[in-house]
Amino acid sequence: MKSAWPLFLAWKQLFPSQRKVSFFSLLAIIGVALGVNVMIVVVAFMQGFQQKFRTDIIDSQGHARAVPLHRQLDWRESVETIKGKSQVSKVTPYLQGHLLVQNRDYNAVPFSMGIEPTDGNGVLPINEFLKNGHIAIQGYDSKDLTPVPTTQTLEDDVVFITQQVANRLGVRPSTILQIYDLNKSENNSISKGDISVVRLDPFVKSGEWVIEFSNDQNFSLRNALGTIERHASLGSGPPDLGWGYPKFDIKEGDYPFASGDIYKFQVFRSSILEVYSPSMIENAKSDEMAPPREVRVGGIFEVPWQGFHADALFGTRRFMEDMRGEVDVCDGFFIKFKSEFFEDEGRLGQLCTKLEDDLDGDWSVMPWFVENAWFFDLLKFEEYLMVLIMIPIGLVAAFAIAIALMTTVLRKIREIGLLVAMGGSRFAVGTIFCFQGFIIGSMGALLGCALALLFIRYRDSLMNFIVTRIAGEEGQAGVTQFYDFYSLDVPYPWESEQSLSTFLTFILFAILVSTVAGLLPAWRAARMNPAEALRSE
Amino acid sequence: MSNNDRNIVLQAEGLCKSFSVVGEKLKVLEEIDLKLKKSSSLSIRGDSGCGKTTLLNLLARLEPADSGLLHWGAKIINAQDKPCSKEANWRAKYIGVVYQSYYLIPELTVLENVMMSVRLSKLSLTNYKERALQLLEEMGVGNKCQQIPTKLSGGERQRVAIARALVNNPVVILADEPTGNLDERTGGEVMDLLLNTCSKEGTSLILVTHNPNYARATEQSSFLKDGRLIYE
Repeated sequence: MKSAWPLFLAWKQLFPSQRKVSFFSLLAIIGVALGVNVMIVVVAFMQGFQQKFRTDIIDSQGHARAVPLHRQLDWRESVETIKGKSQVSKVTPYLQGHLLVQNRDYNAVPFSMGIEPTDGNGVLPINEFLKNGHIAIQGYDSKDLTPVPTTQTLEDDVVFITQQVANRLGVRPSTILQIYDLNKSENNSISKGDISVVRLDPFVKSGEWVIEFSNDQNFSLRNALGTIERHASLGSGPPDLGWGYPKFDIKEGDYPFASGDIYKFQVFRSSILEVYSPSMIENAKSDEMAPPREVRVGGIFEVPWQGFHADALFGTRRFMEDMRGEVDVCDGFFIKFKSEFFEDEGRLGQLCTKLEDDLDGDWSVMPWFVENAWFFDLLKFEEYLMVLIMIPIGLVAAFAIAIALMTTVLRKIREIGLLVAMGGSRFAVGTIFCFQGFIIGSMGALLGCALALLFIRYRDSLMNFIVTRIAGEEGQAGVTQFYDFYSLDVPYPWESEQSLSTFLTFILFAILVSTVAGLLPAWRAARMNPAEALRSE
Repeated sequence: MSNNDRNIVLQAEGLCKSFSVVGEKLKVLEEIDLKLKKSSSLSIRGDSGCGKTTLLNLLARLEPADSGLLHWGAKIINAQDKPCSKEANWRAKYIGVVYQSYYLIPELTVLENVMMSVRLSKLSLTNYKERALQLLEEMGVGNKCQQIPTKLSGGERQRVAIARALVNNPVVILADEPTGNLDERTGGEVMDLLLNTCSKEGTSLILVTHNPNYARATEQSSFLKDGRLIYE
């Protein structure tokens, strides 16, 4: 067996026999590792943010948006054409504009969008948005049982609004609370099962409801006024009184209900908003005064994509038509493609172009990444800027390695002379120091990758630790306000090609820079006169 | 080529070397002629600074001479040429070196230090490991194979250095005051080991020394004075 002696000697000078590791090697490797770790983590998180924004944008806009290039009277035909495409998963038309919304003396002018309640949720996950905006009322003597609203409750006289609009107007959707009798020692709801509300539509009236058990199986449901009373059993479940009334559900607990068990609920009706549209102003100019349209608040929603309007309102498409004073119009379609087509942006772009051709050039079909190109360009620029800022970190590590190796060369002058005297070529002696740089770079890069993987794995705990140490428990809210750091999807290199490419790029960068750092000491060693080196003190 | 010439393993013809000292040329070696036969030994004595180490460096081609010719066996080298990497490969197999300061590599164990000669000669590590162990045994440091040089005494270090010089069966050993750092008793022991092993292995030896006793132990003795080599 023969071995490359410069590599052997390089390794031994870094990791001497009979010693685990030299102090210099350890410091150099840790230095490179920290640099690589920082670079990978920053870029990986930047990519994580990009991925999150990508998902949020697609959720709030669909994969593509079709807008008419001129007034479309036969938009329904175009919808059918798009629906007929095998690559298209779902499509929904929309109408948009600004409306003036008023509650008593408070008003707002949200960006308003009319969608089809039936298929709108298939393209834009409005039910998810409603879940994000759902806020329960906290009470010491009550429990908020209001179910999360869904698009099923979206009717022509119902709207969903953002949290900002709701706060500005001081409104909220219908709410139901279970009221506890604090004088009672036993907490019925915990020990004897769970009573929930499965439907609370925007048209329920304010009032009190009572469920009273006559024995362990039978109970009555009545309103406090006594105008409605229904008897039922646990087997059949609480009766559905229909639209405008809360629908309860009862699940048995560990202990049976008993005669005299009473559960009280307080319902608050949803707020009613007065809505004005620009068309009403036009009518007013011609002395055609029309009363404002009254709608109920069906739910509060929150779109995760910060680029979406903070002041926004969702209604039905027909509601928007009424408000605009138009009939059977649409401003465009949101389109969602089947999963195998939207992953590849190039392919999605081609599909959109093809769709434009199929629609006879009457529509412009914009994929999400074209419509939001400015934002991703900005993020990309930020990523490049980060890399640009971090490259000096790598160079500083390289300089440190170069200086340390140069010191080694000076310390080992006589050894260098001996190696040449023993038959080593000057070039081979020089490569010892290049190999040392290479080994430090490689090991540092691998350690840096391992640290980066650990950082990605335990990012939430680390972030939590750092934020609470710096800003206390309250700091968490501050962090999540700007970036939802904790839900970031930062992929491991085996999960995504982009992540793998990031890891490999920085591994190669560290190895290259460290090896180049060894060049100067190598050159110094190679040009040394061996006879003089042996004479040196 | 006569049989006599074929036996010559190292020959120098008209080697000259001078150094520039404060703008003046200082002649160190003048017209040095030297012949070393196979398995023979030659000692070179001389005052400090007379050019003994320089002569060894020229013979090992660590630096170029001003003029002259060198014969490494059948290989003829113009001594004033700058040493090249091809010669380095040749030197690794042909010449072994022993220095006063041992120059053992502190990061390597004793055995690894000895095996460095094998690595530099690009020989098989597996084949030569046995020989390295045997040589270390003969040098009396067989039980220190896995120790690092800093844990050894001066005499032990020089024994390791001798084993390192001999391990790859070089034709010539150039020893530059190998006992210079050792006390008389240890120096004597080391010198006996060097001479005996060279004789046993059939390796030629050029020994630079100040000690006339060690010089007398070699087959040929010489004295370097005023840049010229005078055979005794």
